[in-house]
Amino acid sequence: MTSKAGGPARGNPLDRRDAMLGVMLIAPCVLIFCAVIVYPLVSAVYLSLFNIFTPTLQGNFVGFKNYAELFAGEEFWRSLFNTLVWTVCTLFLQVVLGVAAALMLHQAIVFRALARSLILFPYFVSTVVAVLVWRWLFNDLYGILNHLMIWSGLLQMPLDWLGSMPNAMVSIVLVGAWKYFPFVVIAILARLQTIPDQLYEAATIDGAGAWARFTDVTLPQLKDVLMVVVLLRAIWDFKEFDLIYLMTGGGPLIATQTLPLMVYKEAFGLDAMGRATAVAVAMMSVMLVFMVLYLRRMGKEEAR
Amino acid sequence: MKRIAFNLMAWTIVLVTAFPLIWMVITSVKPQFELFRIPPTFWPEEITFEHYRRLLWETPFLTFMRNSLILSFSTTVLVVGVATLGAHSLVRFRYPGRERLAQLVLFTYLLPSVVLILPLYLMMVWLGVANSLLSLVIAYTSFALPYALWLLRSFMQGIPDDLESAALVDGATRMEAFFDVILPQALPGIISTSLFTFILSWNEYLYALVLVNTDSARPLTTGVMSMLVSSFNIEWSLLMAASVMMSVPLIIIFAVLQKYLTRGFGAGGVKG
Repeated sequence: MTSKAGGPARGNPLDRRDAMLGVMLIAPCVLIFCAVIVYPLVSAVYLSLFNIFTPTLQGNFVGFKNYAELFAGEEFWRSLFNTLVWTVCTLFLQVVLGVAAALMLHQAIVFRALARSLILFPYFVSTVVAVLVWRWLFNDLYGILNHLMIWSGLLQMPLDWLGSMPNAMVSIVLVGAWKYFPFVVIAILARLQTIPDQLYEAATIDGAGAWARFTDVTLPQLKDVLMVVVLLRAIWDFKEFDLIYLMTGGGPLIATQTLPLMVYKEAFGLDAMGRATAVAVAMMSVMLVFMVLYLRRMGKEEAR
Repeated sequence: MKRIAFNLMAWTIVLVTAFPLIWMVITSVKPQFELFRIPPTFWPEEITFEHYRRLLWETPFLTFMRNSLILSFSTTVLVVGVATLGAHSLVRFRYPGRERLAQLVLFTYLLPSVVLILPLYLMMVWLGVANSLLSLVIAYTSFALPYALWLLRSFMQGIPDDLESAALVDGATRMEAFFDVILPQALPGIISTSLFTFILSWNEYLYALVLVNTDSARPLTTGVMSMLVSSFNIEWSLLMAASVMMSVPLIIIFAVLQKYLTRGFGAGGVKG
């Protein structure tokens, strides 16, 4: 990243004018950032120290009481646990399915462009559409899924997919995997296209079979991109709201309630805006670990 | 033989993945009574567009559609306009704090909206714009701007420095060089960033849920869900028709502009 405007010639008035122009160009972005991101972020931490009644937005300072109550109660820990279960399970499925599908789509199959579009489509469709479709598929009386499974002998009785445990968690994990595995496909497919063919030829000459070629050539080449994909998806799955809220609403009871859902419930179901921001801030602190890991990783890649 | 077997297996997997979406289209053209047939029929015995007619004329669907279009267009124009200037500045200029800023952009790109949403809600109430499309445009910039800025930055890093230098040597000012040299080069990147930003705004749900609760300002995502919640017995074929209609812009973007989309994939620009 070299730029004519920069360099050691600090004193040059022309360069300083260029730097001024650069600052002016970025200024609108910075202003908007401050208004819609930095201010709300600081404000969230501040609000979490208050006890605020949502309908009137009136409240008083309570210090760390919100956090103390949160960590003493069971609901926060249960929601954190649910969030981790959801994230780990759905992420695992996304990666396995995504890598498998990418390897498949990398081969020459007929109508490959169409096949790719069809595989990628779930990722681009709105979560609302995905949820409506899946709730119709999961419908306990008329849903096609129960019928197919009974017809094929996998089930004896129609299953209540969303209203009981552990089915509800399994269902959202499956729908999450279906909706988001194309992201992994896109990233892996792009990387696969850059692996030199000579590596495979050399491995074949050395007598490697298909499986050995995969574990000894493909996987090591994919390692870097997989790290990035796993981190990114971990962050995004951790903060997922739409899909879970619309599929189960956190139910039955709070069995599938993740942290983002708890924030929403505290704020607009229980009218405790202060406590809700405390949950949000606590949640972000957990996420910060992944975020820092990702930022470091990207920093390394930029430097390269 | 092996080829055919592989093709068969691959296409089976593709069709299983796409099945929910195929089922959505099929359900939307089945007559209501056929949905409750046991065992269910796969191909509709009779194709009807009755649900689409009812959706368009007897529900507020068109209002939601209009809102979503206005909202996504405004957000995209605002965000991509501002971010193009910003990305150019981040890539081609030198000033103190520039690297820090780039890192901050990446950081905000990962930030969960549930943290920002409550203060933003208070801010909208305080500004007196709650319950309007304007409040949504403002709120949407909080995720769309970092995204567009980051994506455009990686596109613009791919444009060789020499092009701009040549223009500067020829006597162009920095801004002239930007408009005459950089913009045309960055156009494919700008188009794919716009498409992705549009899709993001089109699909957004949480902000719309919290910030707007009147039908007149609701976008499609929350609007269609409110149709599900408010109806006494759920009319699945109507909802599937709504889902199909909601996905139409995406299908158009997908089919016509696939070239630009894949360019976006290459730049690593996909958001969940």
